[in-house]
Amino acid sequence: MNKLNILKVLRVILAILFFVPILLYFVDFGGKLPDTFHYLAGIQVIPAFLAGMAGIFIFQLLLAFVLGRIYCSVICPAGVLQDIINRIYCIGEKKKKGSRRFKYHKPMNWLRYGLLGIGVLLALAGSIELWTLLDPYSNFGRISANLFRPIVVWGNNLLADVLMKMDNYALYHVTLSTATIAGVIAGFIILIIFAVMVSLRGRLYCNTLCPLGALLGLASKEALFRVSIDKSTCIKCGICEHTCKAEAINSKEMTVDSSRCVDCFNCVSSCSKSSITYGFKPFYKKEEVKEQPAVKPIGKESNSRRSFLATGATVATTLPVVSAIAKSTGVTSSSSGEKVQPITPPGSLNLKQFKEKCTGCHLCVVRCPSQILRPAGLEYGFGYMLKPHVSYMNSYCNYECTVCSEVCPNHALKPLSKEEKAVTQIGIAEFFIDRCIVKTEGTDCGACSEHCPTQAVHMVPYTGTLTIPAVEPDLCVGCGGCESICPVRPDRAIIVKANPVHQYIEKPEEEEVLDIEIDDFGF
Amino acid sequence: MKRRDFFKTGIMAGAALSLNFEGLQAALASNTMTVQQAPDLVAVMGSEPEAMLDKALEALGSIDKYVKKGQKIVIKPNIGWDRSPEMAGNTNPELIQALVKRCLNAGASKVTVFDHTCDNWQKCYDSSGIAAAVKAAGGVIVPGNDEKYYKTVPLPNGVSLKSTQIHEALLEADAWINVPVLKNHGGAKLSCAMKNYMGIVWDRRFFHQNDLQQCIADICTWPKKPVLNIVDAYRIMHQNGPQGKSLADVASIKSLIASPDIVAVDTAALRMFNQVKKLDMEAVGHIGKGEEMKLGSTDLDKLNIQRIRI
Repeated sequence: MNKLNILKVLRVILAILFFVPILLYFVDFGGKLPDTFHYLAGIQVIPAFLAGMAGIFIFQLLLAFVLGRIYCSVICPAGVLQDIINRIYCIGEKKKKGSRRFKYHKPMNWLRYGLLGIGVLLALAGSIELWTLLDPYSNFGRISANLFRPIVVWGNNLLADVLMKMDNYALYHVTLSTATIAGVIAGFIILIIFAVMVSLRGRLYCNTLCPLGALLGLASKEALFRVSIDKSTCIKCGICEHTCKAEAINSKEMTVDSSRCVDCFNCVSSCSKSSITYGFKPFYKKEEVKEQPAVKPIGKESNSRRSFLATGATVATTLPVVSAIAKSTGVTSSSSGEKVQPITPPGSLNLKQFKEKCTGCHLCVVRCPSQILRPAGLEYGFGYMLKPHVSYMNSYCNYECTVCSEVCPNHALKPLSKEEKAVTQIGIAEFFIDRCIVKTEGTDCGACSEHCPTQAVHMVPYTGTLTIPAVEPDLCVGCGGCESICPVRPDRAIIVKANPVHQYIEKPEEEEVLDIEIDDFGF
Repeated sequence: MKRRDFFKTGIMAGAALSLNFEGLQAALASNTMTVQQAPDLVAVMGSEPEAMLDKALEALGSIDKYVKKGQKIVIKPNIGWDRSPEMAGNTNPELIQALVKRCLNAGASKVTVFDHTCDNWQKCYDSSGIAAAVKAAGGVIVPGNDEKYYKTVPLPNGVSLKSTQIHEALLEADAWINVPVLKNHGGAKLSCAMKNYMGIVWDRRFFHQNDLQQCIADICTWPKKPVLNIVDAYRIMHQNGPQGKSLADVASIKSLIASPDIVAVDTAALRMFNQVKKLDMEAVGHIGKGEEMKLGSTDLDKLNIQRIRI
């Protein structure tokens, strides 16, 4: 029975080729991998849709329509991650309790299409929290960024310390400051959900909670190429059914639910009669297949009609809730102007745009060389949950760096050139003179001005030889150099206030380069 | 007053005469002129960094005086900013490359270079050209980006700063050479040899919180003093320091100052700086405090200074 299953081998190889690089890209704390790796995130369906990459989106739907849900077994990192969890679960288990522990279940159409429908409606109303919570790629990102990455860094540090003792500096110690409590909790919860669902029911997440699974399911329902059972040779042994992670094979009725099949091809090699195969079975040739009495198709149809109606009803009844959520998370509700707004990363244009596009995959968080992007909890409201905000607690935004804007697969951050970045004002430094060391201690400091790349924060004469900072808002880009280095605690003396709508400063005037020459030592 | 001055001058002149006389005698005895007394401070002007370094070392009496066979040497440049060499935010990489080579040629077993940078350390090491320069010369560039690399040491003579964490590369070194770049500085007013010490410590926040100028002088009291301070004044940043905005902040004055006396070297550097931009000695508080704490002398007139023009 262990015959070579080329399709499965191909699937596994391709899955590894997609999964390993994107995983490495997320855990690569040294920034060693080239930024071109971000295309692996860019081809993900939901990011492509939000980014307006119509070509990728249509291609993915067509792929599902032609070949089935290849995406879910090969390209989707969360899908592959679930397969890995399944693999780990099966270690040491006998086949019956391991790789063949599944059995057919009816689809939960009301749930999966319901979530898809509500998700679409909410998104149309400008609130994408549901996608943030359920998008498989974003969830994979959060697991990698907040769980896997810290583990890798921890391992690196252990090794670096050992090497350091041997006078070897090939590795260096890294302190991670990006894994916030909110991020870790979010990553941990979804990893547990994956683990529990996979061990109990295989790809249950993909066929119930995942709105993308539902969407691709719609596209692959009548896929041109699909897995099907040859009813003339099938002996209804049920092995394929027990092998099916998607629990989409009904061996008694000899049917395969293409809308749930993720094209893993495990069933194909499990069949001793070679009755279950993947091949060209277009819907318009259905008649050719020798069908048994016509009762079944009708039943099936009425079934799907019923579930469609149920779904529609569910979605309709949730409409008021949907609009309420949309309203409460909307940016316009910030009528109380006093509320502290998050500083959104450069390229986000404005808070509203960013909220409507970012699904919190944390790719920018892990790629930021200065580690200033932090996944938010609920401090900026439900609408900003798990999205990154800029924090100047430990570091600041490098003046010439544009990495976050380049890697964002959702285009929640629009790609910026160095020149654009240099004039993008994401916030403005605000100086509190009564807290400043120069005033309170009467000693020199100037750490803020030191770190200001545009000299928006500059030193002006104070008393005696002392100088004190002053801010020129028109030059400030809100990089946080000043705030991050200000030694005053608990409240710093200079703090960057967010621009809910990013502004653009005038390009600094080119100062004339004077030819200064001296011909004396001066002493 | 006058009489005292008279005596002073007389004694000085006498001492100078007798010294010269001894020198002359020795020279006559050995029939060479090499026994000239080494200067306290050397200033070189008018050439490229490597050539100026060689002139300075030659005048001081060769690198062998400072670097002994088999020693572990640390060279501490300023690599604080993600800036290219033209911007003068960091020590000139050509100077560092040449110095690493000279140390290795003098028999150093290992030459290590590091700085606790302000901008992202990898970007600083790369943009400054120093990482590449050190590797090309056969030295080792080590990170200084994590508290892990720093160990607490006491500073018994410190006034504000009584102890601090210093990079272990320095703690393990047999000798070190301080190689700052001459810059204007928003906080300390001038960034040179003494200010460059802020890159050997982990916690700089303490400095800013507790009288920056005093803390800079305090850290320089660490008993393991650099065997030599070499000020890179090939390009200096005369305004908008320490990181600068544009090339308009830079003056190319093609100079180098070297001395084991850190206060003297900073005083001389400030005088040179003053020819480009006015800056009062009193404003650069740490230099005066350094003299008070007996770290060196601001009285350049009393020092044996050799000025070399190329």
